[in-house]
Amino acid sequence: MVATRYEAPPVTSPRRELDQVIAAIAHRKPAIDLGPVDICFLIALHVQSEGANLTSFTEQQLEDVFANASAIVQPEAEQVRRRATHAIQRLREQRFLARVDGQGVVRTGEFALSRLAIGVVEFFLEDDVLTRASLHVLLASLRTAITEVREVARTATEPAQWADGVVGPLQVTIAELVAGIERRQRGLDLQQENFQAEIRRLLEADWFGALDRCQQLLEQTSATLHELNEVLLRDSSQLLVLLQDVEDLAVAAGQTDAEAVAHRLMDQIDRSAAWGTTRQRAWSEYFQYVHRYLRDVVRLDPTRALTQRLREQLAESGDKFALTYASAAPMRILRTVPPPRDQPPVTRPRAPRDREPVTEPAADPQAVLVSKVKQALVDGARTLSTVTAQVTADVAASERFIEAGRIAHTVAQVAQVRAEVERPWVAVGADLEVEEWDTTAPREEKS
Amino acid sequence: MTPRTFTELQEVVLDPSFPDLDLALRRGRHVDREDFAWYTLLTDAQDLLEAFYRRYGCELVHKADGYYYLLPTGEKLSRRQLAVGDMLVGQALALMYLDPSTIERGGRATTEDVVAQLAVVMGAEALVRAFHTKKKKYDERVAQKAVRTKVADGIRRLAALGFVDVGDESLKLRPALLRFAEPVRAAGQPAAALAKLVADGEIAMVTEDAEPAEADVDAETESDAGEESTDDDSDLEAELRADDAERAASDAADASEDDEDT
Repeated sequence: MVATRYEAPPVTSPRRELDQVIAAIAHRKPAIDLGPVDICFLIALHVQSEGANLTSFTEQQLEDVFANASAIVQPEAEQVRRRATHAIQRLREQRFLARVDGQGVVRTGEFALSRLAIGVVEFFLEDDVLTRASLHVLLASLRTAITEVREVARTATEPAQWADGVVGPLQVTIAELVAGIERRQRGLDLQQENFQAEIRRLLEADWFGALDRCQQLLEQTSATLHELNEVLLRDSSQLLVLLQDVEDLAVAAGQTDAEAVAHRLMDQIDRSAAWGTTRQRAWSEYFQYVHRYLRDVVRLDPTRALTQRLREQLAESGDKFALTYASAAPMRILRTVPPPRDQPPVTRPRAPRDREPVTEPAADPQAVLVSKVKQALVDGARTLSTVTAQVTADVAASERFIEAGRIAHTVAQVAQVRAEVERPWVAVGADLEVEEWDTTAPREEKS
Repeated sequence: MTPRTFTELQEVVLDPSFPDLDLALRRGRHVDREDFAWYTLLTDAQDLLEAFYRRYGCELVHKADGYYYLLPTGEKLSRRQLAVGDMLVGQALALMYLDPSTIERGGRATTEDVVAQLAVVMGAEALVRAFHTKKKKYDERVAQKAVRTKVADGIRRLAALGFVDVGDESLKLRPALLRFAEPVRAAGQPAAALAKLVADGEIAMVTEDAEPAEADVDAETESDAGEESTDDDSDLEAELRADDAERAASDAADASEDDEDT
């Protein structure tokens, strides 16, 4: 049996697929438009259905629930019945309410909240925040569930046993529990943000009076985070050991599905533990900053007069002043300079600088070319290409084209040439072609 | 963490953090708790270091707000004054440091926040006059860009002195910013407080004529600290004009393409 290593599937869909999904959704032109009354109406329906175990609402019930919600949100609003009709219509159009009786116009309908509505309601009712108690319960449940799965994995022999006893629980029960922890973590993050805003609001509302409340809030949150981080770090290592065992067993049994699920859960638990550490670090920094602020700013300026005076100082164009500060020049580090060499004494050349011009015979390039062409013809060259090849043998490639023209002209002068009507092109070297001529030996020069 | 006890200056000088701390202080750096190793060394050896720097004609100042800095009182160590523009930026940052809204962001702000703070407190007109030009007529865009540039330059210079930390996208405000609030710390007359600070050598008064960037006490010059530079302004104007020309050319090209299409 060969155990293959698990390779996690890509987290995101391929780009093209994503484009198609977005295009398809955009084609349906989805839009959501909910006001505060609509949202409260949905929440009231949800709470009502849970409290009374209702699976659906009649039109009358919908209107009654709307009237209750409206009385709280807009107590002075009139024409409640008419507004209820509009609200129900809006929710129907946006698929928050689904008609479930299938009777059409035959009788009044029955309606239930759609998945979309329940999602919205749950978002607003979300009060899942990670606390020490909730984390403890969740982690304990997780430990028990994973231990059971490990026992099944140890004894499972058939694929069906792996699917029912390992993959199923890992995918559903345990993944739900881990997701529960993550959801509460997000809740706590949101609470932290609110908390930071709360400190600001407290100070803005009652500068010095808010000091104790701020200190108290800081201490509470610090203690909570510290505890959560401790519990997460301790218990997550135990959970990871258990999941590692499950993964090893799955690898040994060649159960790639079980291996993949176990691996994914390990990643999730790692992420949760990392969350605790990063939040603790960030909080520590924030905690110190706020403590210093409370001590150095709020306590030292209980009436907040300093801010006002500083603002006036900045706004006024009175006496201008500037802070003084030390400004030692950086140390000068001398660079190493080689000692200068002994310079020879300056002398004047004794010989005269200007040279007398000398007369030299000038070489006629055409004469040289004529002699070369004649030599080639004398040596037996009887075509223009052979003469050109011979004469341009020592000529630089860049000048061969020009020289070829001169050679053709010279050959015509010093010998008798004959050309066909259709003159063939003949290569001379790699970079030159000429129209072929036949030539004779050089003409005798008339004396 | 228990404080170390230094009995002799030699022990302080032999501390691994001392050389960097000493250089930083002499260059005007303000040291607070964020500079953990330096701050600890200064706290643990404060008595010895105060005596040490007094021999150089300097005071090692420790403020109750939780920061140290070196203040030259003699002629042995050169000293400078902040530019007028940098003073305005510093005061705006100090205001932000005191504002509870900064708490929500853990003491962080952006350069835009500083410009906005200055504009709110001083007014846009006064801001342009302080940072750009005193002329009555000016190009609004050029002036605004010049203000933004000079505020950013000021922040950079203040960061070098330990008043703020400049990160990738935000500034971290530090306790030393409260030095800008010193003249208005006490409830009494600001003029009396100013006079006392001048006498202590903490601040220097700036006259309208002597407003150039950083007044330098012992005549050293620093080319990058210059302000009121007309070259900068003309560069800015040229840059904006070039932008306009480029935009116009691009618009014309688009228009001709449209014509061709039609």
